[in-house]
Amino acid sequence: MLRFALTRIVMAVPTLLIVAVSVFVLIRLIPGDPASLMLGDLATPASLADLRTRLGLDQSLPVQFAIWFGNLLRGDFGVSINSQEPILPLIVSRFWISAQIVLVAVLLASLAAVPAGVVAAWKQDASLDIGLVALATLLLSIPTFWLGLLLLLFFGLKLGWLPVVGYVSIGDDPWRGVLYLVMPVTTLFLHEIGVLLRMARASTLEVLRLDYITHARAKGLSETAVLWRHAFRNAFGPTWTLIGLVLGNLLGGIAVVETVFTIPGLGRLLVDSIFARDYPVIQGCLLFVALTYVLVNLVIDLCYPIFDPRVTAQ
Amino acid sequence: MRNRLTIASVLASGALAAWSAAVAAPLRIQVPADIRSLDPGVNRDNNTDGVVLHMVEGLVAYGEDATPKPLLAERVDVSPDGLSYTFRLRRGVKFHNGADLTSADVLWSWNRYMDPRTDWRCLSDFDGRGSVKVTSVTAPDAASVVFSLEKPTALFLTALSRTDCGMTGILHRDSVRADGSFDRPVGTGPFKFGAWKRGEFVRLDRFADYAALPGKRDGYTGAKRPLVDEVRFLVVPDPATARTGVMSGAIDIMPDLDSSAMTELKDDKRADLSVIPNMGLVGLIMQTRDPVLGNVTLRRAVAAAIDKPEIVAAATEGFGKPNGSVVPTLSSYHGKVQDEDIAYDPAAARALVAASGYRGETIVMLATKRYPSSFNTAVVSQQMLRAVGLKVEIEVLEWATQLDRYAKGTYQMQAFPYSGRMDPSLSYETIAGPKDRQPRKLWDDPGVQALVDRSMVVSERAERQAIFDALHRRFLADVPMVMLFNGIASGAAGAEVRGYASSPTALPRLWEVSRAPAPPPADPKGPTCSVSP
Repeated sequence: MLRFALTRIVMAVPTLLIVAVSVFVLIRLIPGDPASLMLGDLATPASLADLRTRLGLDQSLPVQFAIWFGNLLRGDFGVSINSQEPILPLIVSRFWISAQIVLVAVLLASLAAVPAGVVAAWKQDASLDIGLVALATLLLSIPTFWLGLLLLLFFGLKLGWLPVVGYVSIGDDPWRGVLYLVMPVTTLFLHEIGVLLRMARASTLEVLRLDYITHARAKGLSETAVLWRHAFRNAFGPTWTLIGLVLGNLLGGIAVVETVFTIPGLGRLLVDSIFARDYPVIQGCLLFVALTYVLVNLVIDLCYPIFDPRVTAQ
Repeated sequence: MRNRLTIASVLASGALAAWSAAVAAPLRIQVPADIRSLDPGVNRDNNTDGVVLHMVEGLVAYGEDATPKPLLAERVDVSPDGLSYTFRLRRGVKFHNGADLTSADVLWSWNRYMDPRTDWRCLSDFDGRGSVKVTSVTAPDAASVVFSLEKPTALFLTALSRTDCGMTGILHRDSVRADGSFDRPVGTGPFKFGAWKRGEFVRLDRFADYAALPGKRDGYTGAKRPLVDEVRFLVVPDPATARTGVMSGAIDIMPDLDSSAMTELKDDKRADLSVIPNMGLVGLIMQTRDPVLGNVTLRRAVAAAIDKPEIVAAATEGFGKPNGSVVPTLSSYHGKVQDEDIAYDPAAARALVAASGYRGETIVMLATKRYPSSFNTAVVSQQMLRAVGLKVEIEVLEWATQLDRYAKGTYQMQAFPYSGRMDPSLSYETIAGPKDRQPRKLWDDPGVQALVDRSMVVSERAERQAIFDALHRRFLADVPMVMLFNGIASGAAGAEVRGYASSPTALPRLWEVSRAPAPPPADPKGPTCSVSP
């Protein structure tokens, strides 16, 4: 298992290298200049030249890349053009804010969607199945920003139960911190439940048609035993993979949800940095996201044997 | 009798408690993005200026009419040759650390700004690369500072007052650490720095020893009493969320509304709107070196095709007023000549199109959704231009890209929002100049440039007005741009907020702002004020 994990990590190095080069080049292909943006239409040629020199933007692209990549190899992600903050601590602090929302939402969505998907498959074409599939499709179809705004209007404005704007860290004030997270977590939860329920249902349906399920039934096992002992464990693999992909995607940024609920997470940092052409932060965020994606999927792969003994980590 | 006294004292103490609670509750203001730094005029944007200028003040500041007026200076004496400015400092002004303001602080602050290591964004405006060169600054006594200039200029005080320069704010040396790096602003403003939680909020606390000027609020000078104990700038990027916050009471002030928010909130009893024109300029800029729009007859056709009242009503939801001059309507230099404009005349526009030799070439107009009024302007103008036979397409760009195209001059036409220029010379300087050296310039005409340069030197008002009048008439003849209207500064304050008014700079002002119940009246005698109940 250790060798497998190490191999996967080593294999991730070229991926990250490609990400680093691509991000560096692509972000500079987009028109727009951070110095010009910072000074706006009031810029004079002299002030623009001063700022470009200070930001190191007057150097050639290969020199800029060499400096950035050299620092990166030493673990130095650089300093934000916008805020002058060191980038790695900035990314990590924002990542934890996003992660607490994503992890809770995906955990809750998995706990609700997987059993519901299995039950829907078991009751295929019954009204329960049709109802669950319709609900999943509906939830999947609603854009998260709209769902978020609806929750804000109803629970924040109309009922006044939950705070509308702002953010309080759970570390600073656990109770208020949780209150601020309820709506963003609910928004993500409702969206992801649709994705996972459909996958759990489809993969269970596939397994329920296999011969060994017929065999189990022929042995006289109860439907519950057939479903949970034989069908579920074999059907869970694809859903588990999807959970990994969903986690990797969401941990990389939930900018829309963070913007609607004023959560200072990683997604918002990335989007703000793109608008401000804060090159070092964009590069740092995307590298960090790529690394997170690789690690999450590695963990998912390593957990596979727990659910499906046929799979080994060799 | 005793019962009456008891009731009266209970009522009085209740009112006192209500007033104390109102003062103590933080005033929450939405900002769409986090600030960049606390260092005035260094690493900044409009959000940053809006926060920092509550903590620092300059010798002079813009008044409501966009002219520079004394703030930390009691008065400014200009020598007859215009080469020497003597600032007499107000007495009794204290820094947030309790120290008295002296000329030594002004000298220290100035030297810090002029040190290239500070990265002050306005360094090039004062070291001779711009319109001003300060040759020396001296302090003959503790209450006087003398600035000497290389040559006379009409823009020195305007440049010192600029909000993007941090109002050339006077800081105490405790603002920097032992190694010279900036720590936090220890200024003289009505609020002092409290806390900054990045990505979340900035908290400012009331400066109890603030030396307020008597009189009324006047732009960034005049009365500036801090009437609440704490103000909190909350980072709320999504305007829809911010609007919900104002309606629910979670946000007290939303200082910059877009047109749809204005429409939504104008009839809502939970919010009060404050809408005024600001110094920004919104118009259609044209590339005079473009093969199609290089033709002045065609540019005149564009101007005649635009129904400004209709376009302004549509772009600003009825809150704006047309202005055909780059001299803003708020400016004291906006007179009858500046009201002259090219009349809306579709028939004349069609005739001009025909006379120009236009052969149906596509004209691409750049626009951005970042500034809704500018985007709406593009959409409505496109229809008006099509109505006179011009084939105009809109290309929607993200703001950074549009700004880049503007700076490089690589466009045909843009619906473009300029930020405010406080002096007409600066408005004209923005658009006029040599395109070879500065591609962002719209109007490359040596004669015009000479007039603009002259307007920056003379300080006699009548002569300046004559220059601006001449420039406006040439502007209408050459049409490098169709000026449409000045920007709108529009803010919304919750029903409990008292005294909030939008400013001509479009930055929020939280002095003289309180919560209900209303604050006790200011002491009319003294220059300082107390807000204790």
